[in-house]
Amino acid sequence: MSKTNNRRSSIIQWVLSKVIHKSQLEEFLGDLEEIHAERATSSKVQAKLMYLIDAFHLMLGFSAIRPFKTQNNSLLMFRSMFKIAWRNALRQKQFTFLNLIGLTLGIATCVIIGLYVHDELTYDTFHSEGDRIYRINQPNIWGDWGTLSASTGPNVAVALREDAPEFEQVTRLLNLGHQTVTTGTTDTHSNAFKETRIYAAEENFLQVFSFDLLVGDSETLFSEPMNMALTWETAKRYFGQDIHAEEAIGRTVELKDYDGTWKTYTVKGVLANVPDKSHIQFDVMVSLKSQSEMMRAHGWKWIWTAFSTYGLVKEGTNVNHLTEKLQAIPPKWAPPTTERIFNQTFEEFTKGYLWKLDLQPLREIYISGSPSVHSFGPTGNPQFVKIFGSIGILVLLLSAINFMNLSTARSANRAKEVGIRKVLGSERKALLYQFVLESILFVLVGTLLAFGIVHLSLNEFNTLADKNISLLPHLSSPVFYGITLCFVLLLGILSGSYPAFYLSAFKPIETLKGKLSAGFKGKGIRNGLVVFQFTISIALIICTFFVQKQLAYTSSLDVGFAKDNILQLHNIEQFGFETEALKIRLESNSAFTKVGKSFGIPPNIWSGDRYKAKGSENVVQLNNIRTEEDYLDLLELEFITGRNFDSSRPNDKYKVVINEEAVKTLGWGDQSSFESNSPVGKILKLASGSEDEFEVIGVVKDFNFTSVRRKISPLVMIHHENDKVWDYGGGLSFYSMRLNPEAINSSQDLQFLIENLEEELAEVDASVPFEYSFLDQEFENTFRSEQRMATVLNLFALMAIVIACLGLFGLAAFTAEQRTKELGIRKVLGATVSEIVWVFSSEFTKLILISILLAAPLTFFLVDKWLEGFAYRTSIDLWVFVAAACTALIIAVLTIGYQSMSAANKNPALSLKDE
Amino acid sequence: MKNKGLGEFEELVLLAVCILQGSAYGISVKKEVEKHSGRSILLGAVHITLYRLQDKGFLKSELGGNTEKRGDRRKRLFSITDTGMQQLRAAQEVRQKMWQFIPQLNPEA
Repeated sequence: MSKTNNRRSSIIQWVLSKVIHKSQLEEFLGDLEEIHAERATSSKVQAKLMYLIDAFHLMLGFSAIRPFKTQNNSLLMFRSMFKIAWRNALRQKQFTFLNLIGLTLGIATCVIIGLYVHDELTYDTFHSEGDRIYRINQPNIWGDWGTLSASTGPNVAVALREDAPEFEQVTRLLNLGHQTVTTGTTDTHSNAFKETRIYAAEENFLQVFSFDLLVGDSETLFSEPMNMALTWETAKRYFGQDIHAEEAIGRTVELKDYDGTWKTYTVKGVLANVPDKSHIQFDVMVSLKSQSEMMRAHGWKWIWTAFSTYGLVKEGTNVNHLTEKLQAIPPKWAPPTTERIFNQTFEEFTKGYLWKLDLQPLREIYISGSPSVHSFGPTGNPQFVKIFGSIGILVLLLSAINFMNLSTARSANRAKEVGIRKVLGSERKALLYQFVLESILFVLVGTLLAFGIVHLSLNEFNTLADKNISLLPHLSSPVFYGITLCFVLLLGILSGSYPAFYLSAFKPIETLKGKLSAGFKGKGIRNGLVVFQFTISIALIICTFFVQKQLAYTSSLDVGFAKDNILQLHNIEQFGFETEALKIRLESNSAFTKVGKSFGIPPNIWSGDRYKAKGSENVVQLNNIRTEEDYLDLLELEFITGRNFDSSRPNDKYKVVINEEAVKTLGWGDQSSFESNSPVGKILKLASGSEDEFEVIGVVKDFNFTSVRRKISPLVMIHHENDKVWDYGGGLSFYSMRLNPEAINSSQDLQFLIENLEEELAEVDASVPFEYSFLDQEFENTFRSEQRMATVLNLFALMAIVIACLGLFGLAAFTAEQRTKELGIRKVLGATVSEIVWVFSSEFTKLILISILLAAPLTFFLVDKWLEGFAYRTSIDLWVFVAAACTALIIAVLTIGYQSMSAANKNPALSLKDE
Repeated sequence: MKNKGLGEFEELVLLAVCILQGSAYGISVKKEVEKHSGRSILLGAVHITLYRLQDKGFLKSELGGNTEKRGDRRKRLFSITDTGMQQLRAAQEVRQKMWQFIPQLNPEA
């Protein structure tokens, strides 16, 4: 038996040793261990579970039954308390049921959220030196200097190695973007794979990060050019499912270079599949030395910001001091680069901003989700974690309040019990224990049920939230048990204490006389709690409404061009730069009404450069896209003034079209001044290098080319044949086709068209992977995480309202019982059923109305804050509040309705006959 | 303790102890009963029953036999007493007698 197992069960052993008599302890523990060892051979989890059950069973059986029956008074007491708790639970089935359901739902929701938050917060924790790894971030020197970028130039690492001995290791990672890889023979290049998770690593990569190397030598893996490492999954994908990892070593794989030539790499290592919870997600990793040609060719040592730089600091390093020290590095090392490339001094280049280097702890990279510029891999959203975390706590609070409310309410029925016990000589303390124990038992049962529910529903949740969370691994962690135990005790004592103190303080004479049930106290607190519950529920409902509204608003937002029915073909750059022949082929297809090429497609147009207006020294950052006239036509962009490129005018290739925003950014006025001072004919200059000049021939209305979340940025459209600028949008190009709705009117047609296209492209060049997308779907995808959040939020809001209603239902039932006589008398005196229903319901309706009044301003504030993060925000309309309030009111009235109807329909003769 | 005869489960446990002849302790009894009855039983139930039977004077026990597997802990070995044997016999006889009077099984009577 392993050590950990012994440690795990030691808590149970300790408990057993307290409860079970010495003469039996030894044999029981022995039996438990023996049977556990046997069971553990088949299923560890089950063995642990059975150990727990058996131990618990023995505890129950023997603490009560045997030799010390007369010796140990407190155990006897304990047993009788159990018995009374059990009987009470059975006697009031409805309350027990409501209580348990509310608690279970609340705890289950809270546990699921807890697991989610835990999962989000523990990314990148599998690296053995993880707490000493930092990523070096720097300002986004190609755009807004005020924001950080997750990448640096290649020479930041060089400088760190030289100037910062605090780093044990510094390693760089180059994201190679999209690459075409083939394992076929050199002549055919068939069997091509498109790899999107491919990086170049330095030789010390594995000394910094703890990715498991299955086969290969970690020392030399990345030390030679043209070395390559694959993950196990990728190796199987390349060389067949039943290949052994060893057999992959030494095989060759070819990568298509940017110029269309093929380069041969040798597989030197196979890595275990990358854990899900890593921000570095790769399938293929080549040695950075393979890129040495490109690294040498560029003199851009500080401005080729494509490298992620990671540093492993020595133990005991003061990171704050180190960060301070690093700030001296860019001014010392970067000037030669800026002078050579831009002909600018360092100060001119930085425009007065600080070129700072920032150390970001590895663990925070995923969850902070920032800097978003040039980052890769999955990113978390700290906002979601905060929102979910607070919802979890709120829902738990709701169910705890429920529990408290129902317990105090039903306590009135137990007033007589308390009275009798007191008369018979029970101490107040014993009564206190009784109530606290009952509440702890309730919470315990609720928690166990909740774990069951969580386990069963996690699959669904994982699909919803796109996660891979499981409860089982936590079951072997002592911390988990510790937290659970603390939680059970805390919630049990907390929610049990109020009824406990309240009930145990009853004066026996009064309760036995029946005074208490008549003028039952504690109503104020209960009503307060109900108001609190409904305030939270209504607030959640309103928030969900607004999240939905915002999502609907943004997805229906006019992006400024006709985004529907556009099919996009990717990887066109691999057919070479000159693709007119391909275009003609596509145009001949009757399914397309328009075909256009571009070097970037919305919503992913990120490339940009520094420009200035001729005659001004003001340098501005403008996005750009290389494209042709047909693409602008295809998007149906609206020209405010000027014209599109014209293929019949050869000089057009050095001219540009800009958007409205660019006109404003360049200081050429706005639409109202176009008449008097037209931007058409004005000259735009590159702010670096040769300072080439481009004449503006047209201005288009603003359209959205990134995400709808962002404001529209200034954009320059460059002619695709313009050979004076070197912006090629990351080197990728695309053909977009507007579908002819007459030719394509069913999904089969579409399917058929796509299959045809694939064949057609394969005829041209089989080595180019076929990839397509739809423009409108790409826009939708930018909202996926919000949509996911909205679904999950809906679910939790539903939980909250269900729990609140359960509480209300219970309270209504209780009140109905309390007021039986009153309602009976009213009826005898001539009240109609509807009057009684009104009297009865209005008491609760008032509470709900107060909640609505409280929830409205609260949510207004929260929603307003949340919407601040959006460039285009939906309006905060009154009707949403009204709708949410009505929903809550209707649900509440329906909940109470059943009780009030049954109360009102009671025969007064029956309810008045006793006493 | 009043002698009110044996419960069904008690009888099974008692029989298992007899079968096991001196090597009867919690787990072995549990397995024996499970083997013959075909149902699965909690360890605690066996222990509770064993002790109850000992209280009634049908079983006696002593500690002995520690093994590595049990973390060096001894087991309590149970064996049947004379009273226990009598009780078991009596139970068996009662049943036997009653079986004889089932008409379906005795067509000629």
